[in-house]
Amino acid sequence: MNPNRTRVAPRLRRVFAQPEHASLVVLVAMVVIAAILQRNFFAPTSLMLTIDALGPLILLTMGQAVVMVCGALDLSSGAALSLYTCVLTWIMESGHPLTGVLALGVTIGVAVLVGVVNGIGAGYMRISSVVVTFATSFVWLGIALFIRPTPGGQSVNWFNAFFAYDSVHGMPKPLLTFGTVIPPVLQLVLLACLIWFLISKTTVGRYIYAVGGGEDSAYRTGINTARTKTIAYVINALFILLAALFFVGQNQSGDARFGEPFTLQTIAAAVVGGISLTGGRGSVYSAIVGAVIIELVNKIIFFANIPYAYGTLIAGLIVIFAIGVSQLYTIYSQRSLAKRNAPQ
Amino acid sequence: MRVLEASGIKKQFGGVVALSNGNLSAEAGCITGLLGANGSGKSTMAKIIAGVHNADAGEVRYEGRRVHYANPHEAKRAGVAVVYQNLSLVGCLPVWQNVMLGIERKKGLFLDNRYSRRKAHELLEHLLPDLDIDRAVETLSPAEMQIVELAKALAEEPKLLILDEPTAALELAEVRTLFDHMRRLAQHGVAMVFTSHRLWEVMEICDDVVVFRNGETVAQMDLRSGRHSPDTLIGYITGKEESNEERQTERLTRAPSHEIVLRTKHISHERVLRDVSFDLRRGEILGVGGLAGQGQRELMLALAGFYRHLKGEIELQGRKVGLTRPAEAIRENVLLVPGDREAEGLFLNHSLGINLIFPRYGLGTQPLFERPAQNREICRNAVSALSIKTSSLDVPVRTLSGGNQQKVVVGKWLSFDIDVLLLCDPAKGVDVGAKRDLYDHIVELALERHTSVILYASDNEELVDYCDRVMIMYEGRIVDTLEDRDVNADTIIERSVNTGDARARAESV
Repeated sequence: MNPNRTRVAPRLRRVFAQPEHASLVVLVAMVVIAAILQRNFFAPTSLMLTIDALGPLILLTMGQAVVMVCGALDLSSGAALSLYTCVLTWIMESGHPLTGVLALGVTIGVAVLVGVVNGIGAGYMRISSVVVTFATSFVWLGIALFIRPTPGGQSVNWFNAFFAYDSVHGMPKPLLTFGTVIPPVLQLVLLACLIWFLISKTTVGRYIYAVGGGEDSAYRTGINTARTKTIAYVINALFILLAALFFVGQNQSGDARFGEPFTLQTIAAAVVGGISLTGGRGSVYSAIVGAVIIELVNKIIFFANIPYAYGTLIAGLIVIFAIGVSQLYTIYSQRSLAKRNAPQ
Repeated sequence: MRVLEASGIKKQFGGVVALSNGNLSAEAGCITGLLGANGSGKSTMAKIIAGVHNADAGEVRYEGRRVHYANPHEAKRAGVAVVYQNLSLVGCLPVWQNVMLGIERKKGLFLDNRYSRRKAHELLEHLLPDLDIDRAVETLSPAEMQIVELAKALAEEPKLLILDEPTAALELAEVRTLFDHMRRLAQHGVAMVFTSHRLWEVMEICDDVVVFRNGETVAQMDLRSGRHSPDTLIGYITGKEESNEERQTERLTRAPSHEIVLRTKHISHERVLRDVSFDLRRGEILGVGGLAGQGQRELMLALAGFYRHLKGEIELQGRKVGLTRPAEAIRENVLLVPGDREAEGLFLNHSLGINLIFPRYGLGTQPLFERPAQNREICRNAVSALSIKTSSLDVPVRTLSGGNQQKVVVGKWLSFDIDVLLLCDPAKGVDVGAKRDLYDHIVELALERHTSVILYASDNEELVDYCDRVMIMYEGRIVDTLEDRDVNADTIIERSVNTGDARARAESV
């Protein structure tokens, strides 16, 4: 048997054994329901609005997914998002385009620091990642409140490019067209995908899965598990930063309490997308599907004219349903896989 | 050439001394056996050499230089590879990624997967030719995993290979394949340290042997001279001496009553159990043998109430019972000692006391509030009855050695009136001394409390030493029942094999 020969049947079986394919089914169902409820769902303007609402959650969920695959959790992702918006708008002064560059540089530094701190706690000090990031979330919130007690701040004009090209003065025509075809938020998502694609082709990507799948085994194999976890947290922090860029471009202000509700949504979205809470399993790209499903649930609740009082309850039930479907699908497909592999 | 020389190694974990004076040396092209009871310090020794633990005192010389590895990574780079007893594989990754984990070759920044796959394929081609290297490791059988673990160690092209009980999960034919590979590696000048609980394996494959007892090296012998018998080795391991024959004469003088405690009529389950009928007498130890994986384990589970849709009838003392849930079996005093103690038999992180007392909660007769004094009394009885070695009832079971853990799994049923005790490979991964304690107690149960025992053991010697009768299973059926003088190793092997087809015969030789 040639090791590099592609064997179609088992490969196909393995593809269908992935939980993310269950979430694809749920996704299609959600899109259909949303399109029925909102007649102009596929109209360019409304689609654009949907994408603008989706993009940040996708970025945050992809970051969370990287950490979850590595066998950890990040409960500080929402707080980190707030912190970045505050730092960006704190440094920037409107009318001084160069302060934007400075702000960007400083915030990248802050993001790396945020990732490293989480990584030191959960990796090097071997404290439970839930405990570490729950604690650090208050630290990020505290710093954010310190530099921006009330929402506000300034932004430079070119920063709007992270939200929409047409609100930037003097944007060249060809770029304007490009920005309409591929909206900035989609560009950020594609950038995140590209970053993860490249990382997954390196030892870092392989080790993130190995550490999540079996930390002891990975350690005994000689893998630096603490460093791997730290790198996962840094990647997560940078993906959160991409979301922060979009929000600052959109709102031109920072808010210390802005990110909080996102944290648990990212975890829910990652689980719906088929990322295992115990680590090692699931594809980071499938986090996108999970994020889209969670966002569409919100949309459906809105367009179905469900009173606000019941909205959250129904959204919760839909999420449970989505998770249930993907879990059942996984159990079923793995069982049939195991049966087929059993020696006779 | 001496590759490894470790002398005077000391290591403590908390208050427990794991090693007080460990000495071990290994030569290029030689296989050194490392023998010792569970908890005698041999695993600790292996881990110190591999850089997983640091020694408190003593020195390790590797290729003549004094070394001090801070972590497994450094030891690995120096050419020390370990095949771990409880494996170092990542279940969700495919075989080829596991084999090359930590030693991936890179093309610039990126992984060279083509090379990794080819390398993994080359290594496994000889070891396990039929294996699909794209399968996730978690879908493999324990034996296949063990081979993958070996391939992973070999991928590092080690100069010193430490094999920590690599044969525990393997069947005879697979052990032979493994030995062939070890001999080939020895020819290439690799130094090997091999640990196992099966003496014949050590006698067969090792050039010399080092025996550990209570954290100390007590003997170092050259096996090539052929002057040492297994009994002398057992003597060194346990510090006592006793031969097989005594136990066998003891067995033959036992006479169980003719009262039938349990009778199964034509029980079947899916494809694993087919039309199984047998009687179990009071005070009898009934063995279940045959090639591995012929339904023995499933028979135990069926009797312990694990199968809801079991076909056929089970009678207990003439009364028809439906054992469809474990709780029902326990209420009928049919108690199971499962094969995988870590997953099925123990709450590893809980204390010894809780583990011993926990089954009583399932009875529904436990008072609303705990009676600590009474519970401790029950626990202390179990600890002394089975001579479990522990400093207190409050230590987590995880910290006990394998043999003592296994005693706890048996001990948790001791406060029950056991009618039928089902034992699934109770001595797996247990050393010679603890094995004897365990079986002595089981024999005592059968003799004095007239408990009926069904024993499945993968080691035929245990069946021969302790069973009154032995049933041979093949493909889910009972194909033969041996009694009296027929219960001996040769007959068991002969009947296990001859009833099977040609393939089974080929595998067992």
